[in-house]
Order: sequence, then structure tokens, then C-alpha cells
Amino acid sequence: MPSEETKERIIKTIELGRTVLHYGWIPFIIYIGYTRSNPQPSLVKLITPLA
Amino acid sequence: MASAPVSVEADPPSISSPSLHSASSSFPLANWYHRFSSWRKTLDLPNPGTVENLQKEVKLTSLNNYFFDGGRADINKTLSASPLFQVTHSFALGSQSAPPSYNFGAVFGSNNVFLQGSIDHEGNVNGRFNQGWSASNVSKIQAQLSEQKGHSMVQLEHDYMGQDYSLNVKAMNPSPLDLTGIYIGSYLQSLTKNIALGVETVLQKPTPDVSESTTSYIAKFTSSDKNWIATAHVQPSGIFQTTYWQKLSEKLEVAADLQMVALPQRRDAIATLSAKWDLRMSTFRAQLDSKGKISAVLESRFAPTFAFLVSGEIDHFQNAAKVGVGVMVESSPLTPEEMGLTQGPPPQL
Repeated sequence: MPSEETKERIIKTIELGRTVLHYGWIPFIIYIGYTRSNPQPSLVKLITPLA
Repeated sequence: MASAPVSVEADPPSISSPSLHSASSSFPLANWYHRFSSWRKTLDLPNPGTVENLQKEVKLTSLNNYFFDGGRADINKTLSASPLFQVTHSFALGSQSAPPSYNFGAVFGSNNVFLQGSIDHEGNVNGRFNQGWSASNVSKIQAQLSEQKGHSMVQLEHDYMGQDYSLNVKAMNPSPLDLTGIYIGSYLQSLTKNIALGVETVLQKPTPDVSESTTSYIAKFTSSDKNWIATAHVQPSGIFQTTYWQKLSEKLEVAADLQMVALPQRRDAIATLSAKWDLRMSTFRAQLDSKGKISAVLESRFAPTFAFLVSGEIDHFQNAAKVGVGVMVESSPLTPEEMGLTQGPPPQL
């Protein structure tokens, strides 16, 4: 059984990971898609709905 | 798989490899296993598909996943076809059941990785990550992230598709500290070319010292030409669902679904009949259920990049009706000719 201190640390790490994923997941997909796309699209086209 | 050649060498009683022969006879279990697996291979049974996709054909035919009301607009932008990279803006307004919403989605897919994410105007993020390790091994992660406490969830999943069976394990909101969460394991095995049977076990552990498990049974019958599929899913506690799907022609598919709940506290049953027509430039779905609802969705593609949707539902028992109108605009780096080539069945009507 892990000690209280490690438990606390694990909970904090999960909480931090959750926050990072929450704010970073969509930008991460866009970054991956933007850099791997063939041909590479323009940034304006990526963001605006009408272009 | 790596030990398969050993059995081939050990099977014929040759004197040239006495060491191998004695090795396999000193492990009778391994010998039996090889015999069993080679016998199984000679049966040449098909993979039954996963438990999750048991009712896939029915779900694609019925309009439960396609019905909407109010106004809707989807703008789809394909920025790259291979690897796939797509962004979507969806707007919904005036629905009776849901508040107005805006949703932004992004999809990236290559040969073995699939990434999907969407965010709505309230900041809730949905994410999906699939990693294919080989043709038969796929790991999946699904997450729902919300600012509100208690609305977030994560699901870890692994799919293994054997030659004639499928195995799936899932963990929903597993906690590494006290192992609370929901765990689901399922197994589906082809018995003959047409029949597959399976089990699914759900283990619920809301707190460290409470755990509850339920097992349900699955049967699937596929016709030899794959033109009709019947499935049944039984939970011994009293929940029974059976479906039937048939492809009547290239353009017409029909499905029937019967769900029965016979729990001590609730007795309920609902039957649904649905049909889907795939026409040259449009798709029409209609559905009738035993609760007195008739609904239909028409998706009409005026141009390769522009589709118009109309949907309607009349609830005869409650005297209520719903109507929906939507547009779908697609833009793509491909020329219209290229998209026309990849579009559905050839003109016949």
C-alpha cells in the first residue's frame, strides 16, 4: 500500500495531466495534422470557417 | 505463432530430429495445444467482428444516430486526404431537446494512428486516440474532459482480433490508487461459418470494498452471403435485445430491433423498424417504433460539396412533432472531378 504522500503525489499528477490534456489536445491534433499534411495547408484556411 | 514450425517438425514421426520429438512429448500440453490450433486453422472460420460492432449494420440503418431537430450547419474542411486531416465547425440552433451549441472538431488519421478531438462553446473537450499495433491489435483511449467536477471520464480499451475470435478489454475511469472503476471484458467466437457466440462481463467497483459483476451472453448469425445478420444480447437479470438486418438490394437496407426489459422494478419493451435507401444523390432513412413515433431524415447532395438535410418526427401517442433543417458544406483541396469520382454508386436512377 503506497503511503499518504505518494497517494497525494499520484492524485496531483493525474489532475495535472487532465488539465494539460484539456487545453492541449485540440492544439496537439492541429499541430500534428498541420505538420504532417500533404500538401501543407495555409494557416488562415485552417482556422476560419469561411475560406 | 513463433512455435508453429516446431509442431510441423514434431508431427511426422521422423528419426532425424529425436531431440525435438522427445521435447514435445515431454510437454504433452504444448503438443495438444499445437494439434488443437492446427485443427482450428483447418476449420477456416471467419472473424466474427467485435462485440462493440455487433449491431453496427442496424445502427447505420436506423436513424437514432442521424435524427436532429431545429437548425443545423456543418462546415467540413478536408485539408489533406492522405494522411487524413479534417477540421469541422458545427452549429446547432433551435432544438427542443438541446440548447444552441457550437462545436469545433479536428481529425487526423494515418495508417496506424487516429486522433480525434472536439470542443464545444462551453469548453468541454472530447478526445479519442487509437493506435494500431498490427492488423489484429488496436489500443484505444477515449476521454471526456470538463471543467465541472465529476463530468470527466476516461476509457482505456484494447481490441484483439484473432483468426476466428475477438477479444476486448475496457477500463472506464480506472483509479491507479484503489482500483475503483468499471471494467469490461468481452469475447466472441465463431462456431461455424455463420454462428458466433460470446460473453461479456462487467465488473463495477464504485468503492474499494464494493464490487459487483454481471455477465451477459451474445449470439450472432450471419448469412453465408452476408446479406442478413441477426443478433441477440441477453442479460440474465432480465434485459434482452435482439436485432435483424437485411440488405434487400444495392439501394435498400432494412433493420428491426426489439428491446425488452423485465426487471422487477420496471417492465418495458420497444420495437423499432427502419429502412434506408441510398439513392444516386441522396440518402433517405425512415423509422417506425412501437411507442408511436414515425420519423424520417432525408440527406440530399445537390453538389459534391453541398448537402441539404431535412428531418421530421411525429409522436402519435404524445401528439408532438419535431422538424429539422440542416446544411452540410464540404471544402477540400481535391477538384470537383476528383471528388465526383470517389462519390457513391454510379448514376442509375
